Amino acid sequence: MDAVTYPDEGVIEYINANLIPLRLMHDDKRHAADYKIKWTPTLIVLDTDGHESHRTVGFLAPDELIPALQLGVGKADFEGGRFDRAIAAFDQLLGDHARSSAAPEAIFFRGVSTYKHTDNPRALREAYEKLNAEFPDSEWAKKAYPYRLIE
Amino acid sequence: MATKIEWETEMDKALSRAKSEGKEILLDFYNPG
Repeated sequence: MDAVTYPDEGVIEYINANLIPLRLMHDDKRHAADYKIKWTPTLIVLDTDGHESHRTVGFLAPDELIPALQLGVGKADFEGGRFDRAIAAFDQLLGDHARSSAAPEAIFFRGVSTYKHTDNPRALREAYEKLNAEFPDSEWAKKAYPYRLIE
Repeated sequence: MATKIEWETEMDKALSRAKSEGKEILLDFYNPG
């Protein structure tokens, strides 16, 4: 990460603008056990209370790290009930990194966030249809499969 | 524009900034060896 991803200009700009970056040693006595760290690099997006919203393990190139972090920000907003902000985060991810590894999960949680924000279940079916069209083999297409029945 | 990521190294400081700035935290557990 230090050799390739963290020196990337886009990564520096995104992280400094959107997140509080915190680095701890893998064997940090106070926190490594709390977050069950077994391998490095482990990257975790935490909400403002320190609760985990998303985790990745292993190397990520710049064009995969940024959407992974956007996904974490969106999930933190989702879990905090800030559905409008979650939708905006997922839209940013899907606009900038539509074919990234994080995209299928973002489509799923965008649909769920939209449903929670509007009470319109059609958003769930639209999420399924998008996943089925663009990422039919993803686990998120499988998780959304029941939504195909929504009228 | 900053030329590197401006890492915090203490959880308490990061949490304090997260609350005051309304941002999530990127926590990187790393092994420099």
